Amino acid sequence: MVIFQKKKLKAFLVASFLCLSCNGTSYALEAGSKAPDFSLPGTQGTVSLSSTAGSVVYVDFWASWCGPCKQSFGWMNDMQDKYKAQGLKIIGVNLDSKTEDAKKFLAQTPAHFTVAFESKGVTPKNYGVKGMPTSFLIGRDGKLISQHLGFKEADREKLEQEIKAALEAKK
Amino acid sequence: MKSLPTKKTHVIGAALFAAAMTLPFSNAAFAEAAPEKGIVAFKYLNYKESQPVSEDRMSVNAYTVSAMAPIAGKWSISTSYTYDSVTGASPDYHSNIDHFISGASPIREQRDAGDLSVTRYLPQGSVTVGGSYSEENDYISRGYSAQASISTEDKNTTFTFGGSYTTDTIAANNSEWRDLGRIEEKRTVAGALGVTQVLTKQDIVQLNLGYSKGRGYFDDPYKTYDYRPDRRESKTVMTRWNHHFAAIDGTSHLSYRYYTDSFGIRAHTFGLEYLQSLPHEWTVTPSVRFYSQTAADFYLPVDPADPGRNDYFLPLFIAGTPLGITSMDQRLSSFGALTLGIKVEKRIAKDWIVDLKYENYEQRAGWSMTGGGDPGLKPFSASFVQVGLSREF
Amino acid sequence: MKKNVLLNPLYALLLLVLGLSGCSIGSAVQPWEKETLARPEMTFEGDPLDNKYTEHIYSSKEAASGGAGVGGGGCGCN
Repeated sequence: MVIFQKKKLKAFLVASFLCLSCNGTSYALEAGSKAPDFSLPGTQGTVSLSSTAGSVVYVDFWASWCGPCKQSFGWMNDMQDKYKAQGLKIIGVNLDSKTEDAKKFLAQTPAHFTVAFESKGVTPKNYGVKGMPTSFLIGRDGKLISQHLGFKEADREKLEQEIKAALEAKK
Repeated sequence: MKSLPTKKTHVIGAALFAAAMTLPFSNAAFAEAAPEKGIVAFKYLNYKESQPVSEDRMSVNAYTVSAMAPIAGKWSISTSYTYDSVTGASPDYHSNIDHFISGASPIREQRDAGDLSVTRYLPQGSVTVGGSYSEENDYISRGYSAQASISTEDKNTTFTFGGSYTTDTIAANNSEWRDLGRIEEKRTVAGALGVTQVLTKQDIVQLNLGYSKGRGYFDDPYKTYDYRPDRRESKTVMTRWNHHFAAIDGTSHLSYRYYTDSFGIRAHTFGLEYLQSLPHEWTVTPSVRFYSQTAADFYLPVDPADPGRNDYFLPLFIAGTPLGITSMDQRLSSFGALTLGIKVEKRIAKDWIVDLKYENYEQRAGWSMTGGGDPGLKPFSASFVQVGLSREF
Repeated sequence: MKKNVLLNPLYALLLLVLGLSGCSIGSAVQPWEKETLARPEMTFEGDPLDNKYTEHIYSSKEAASGGAGVGGGGCGCN
């Protein structure tokens, strides 16, 4: 019975809220700030953000074991094909700890966009990635426009609108 | 044949798929993200008891179909339907079979049960509401539940809060004159609090606290001289720990539950299972469970001089027992129980999984961790066989 | 006061779990490190129909029941 006494229940609740508040120390990137640069090995040589200057860049952090990531591949392929001429560059940064897992995944689900491998976790930490997948839309000026956590069918349209707006924006 | 059930006919319903004590809570998902795929599953259960001395113990066949579908990436809906049929007999007193009606052929009893729940997924949590209904000829149960979960920003900690309300309607057809045709009710409210914590890349732990308070009819309508308090309060603490062994691609599930209630019962439950992944999409899971409980304050042990309880009025005059509050139910005695099981699963095609599980269960008075088992009780054992098939969409 | 003795270790465990949950920031598992944790066998959900049957059997053959926590909706176990 002891454990359910009011006092102890209160302690449980207090502790619960402490945990909630305690864990909230994560640094998020804000819109308008400069997107952190990275230079990583990719399927076709080194991939770096700085070499894409002047393009609208969509950086997507994904992993082979993440279901919604797989769902987003078809959509990212479409976007890359559709807006390539207007200057869209999609970079899929893979975060698998074993790069072979990612390569196996890519053999089954080909990507029409640039893929980079990051098994150390440095880049996602710099970007403050909070879930899988997380994507960042970066303007032609190299500044962050928006970020998006997760991928659902319902997100397609909104994300495409954002990409379109970024491509049309004046420099 | 419908009215005035004889001793033998009504024996069954309550005993196994009996209602009485569970709540409309299950192990359901803690998922904070909407599921990507739907699932349809079927499972068959065969439960068979055996107890030395008696020939005519209970056997159950149950069939369940369930479905879960994600909706628009933000919702999911789950439903299930169970049909079960019970044959055989349950003991009148302790564990001896009814001795004053004999030679009757086995009787069947059926139960239909269904449930439905809807979950809304939010960026940091989820909210679920659900309802359940179950009916057999002398027992109807309705349950309503709601729960919410909330995760920290890094999704490493999840808190859950839930509550439920259950109402049961019971035809209290005890064999005694005072009970004939009486309809009884029982209402139970329950609450639970839980926290799930990711510890490492290979470890996750959970702690759950549960509280339940019921009022109404707690007697076993199928037992003679079974008069229990009309209130029951219970509390549980449960901890679970899942660990993955990367080197051998196996996962262990360890659990412990402490239970205490106002009947004076305290129980410990330990569980361990180990899932081993094997080539060609096979998984093999051996499991062991140990359970031990103390007796209820009003439990009346077997009288060695009169094991058949031919002296019908005796319980009412037992010293130290409040008049009328007494039970000879084996389930309220002190005992220990051991379950050994093995489950084999195989993914037979991309979205199809089949599974087969066998468990052997044994209860003995002498296995009680706290002692005090009733030496007059015979060991009790049962086997559970499950066969399942599921398909993802 | 036997109950006290029995329950205090559990209460300590409760505090331990909460303590770990609140202040394990230094070693917090990152979202991209959850490959293993994302596997179905690492969840506490298990096989829902299997759990439903076995919980049902145990709650009808033993005095204790419940404890596995808040579930989503009814399980039809009455």
